[in-house]
Amino acid sequence: MESQKVDMFMMTNAKFFEGHHLNAIRERLLSLDDSKWGLVQTLQFKDPTTSIIVSLLGGGLGIDRFMIGDTGMGVGKLLTCGGLGIWTIIDWFLIMGATREKNMEIFQNSLY
Amino acid sequence: MTRNKLYSLLLIACLAGFIYLFYNIHTLQSQTFRFCIIKNVTAYPCPSCGTTRAVTLLLNGRILESLLLNPFGIIVAMIMTIFPMWILIDFFLKKETFYFWYKKVEGTIRKPWLASILIVLVLLNWIWNIYKHL
Repeated sequence: MESQKVDMFMMTNAKFFEGHHLNAIRERLLSLDDSKWGLVQTLQFKDPTTSIIVSLLGGGLGIDRFMIGDTGMGVGKLLTCGGLGIWTIIDWFLIMGATREKNMEIFQNSLY
Repeated sequence: MTRNKLYSLLLIACLAGFIYLFYNIHTLQSQTFRFCIIKNVTAYPCPSCGTTRAVTLLLNGRILESLLLNPFGIIVAMIMTIFPMWILIDFFLKKETFYFWYKKVEGTIRKPWLASILIVLVLLNWIWNIYKHL
């Protein structure tokens, strides 16, 4: 793929990934065929900022975990009052990273 | 999430659950103090308030009372007994049966029709909890 297109993708989507993912994503996109550009553009990523807001408001019910697609963890959080409230507080700090990891999984599942 | 991460996380969670349960049974102070953020902030119970009491009732063999207090108690009790055993069997036989099952169930629960039914059930349980003044 042309480096110009890849740079455009990186600029608009860098905030959805962890810093250490960016290099691998760039390499992967550069090695892809140009016909994949349509697929790359239609990929939907979860916004870490949205998930932290949801975590602050609905973390006790596990809604944040459900939202990013971690259904199993979400059920665990719901059944235990947000892990007795402790897990809720821990997740306020972890959820942004978890969202970025999930985005990387989405990327990998569709392009590897 | 990798297999080992999931297994250790669940084992730690179950262990913490057991410790909390035994602490709860052996002290009277816990009768007045609640960890639940929602209950402490808004004074209304959350959908899973009363789960500890329901599990304690279940341990005493009072199944019907436990169901009436909070049906989540039976689900949590089943999870806390079955999951650690399954994980340990998997661990010692070096298999991944639980991991695959977990992934499959995650995919199934996410189906819109099943998800909406479960959400409605949780909301109904919440309304019931508020009505019961847990």
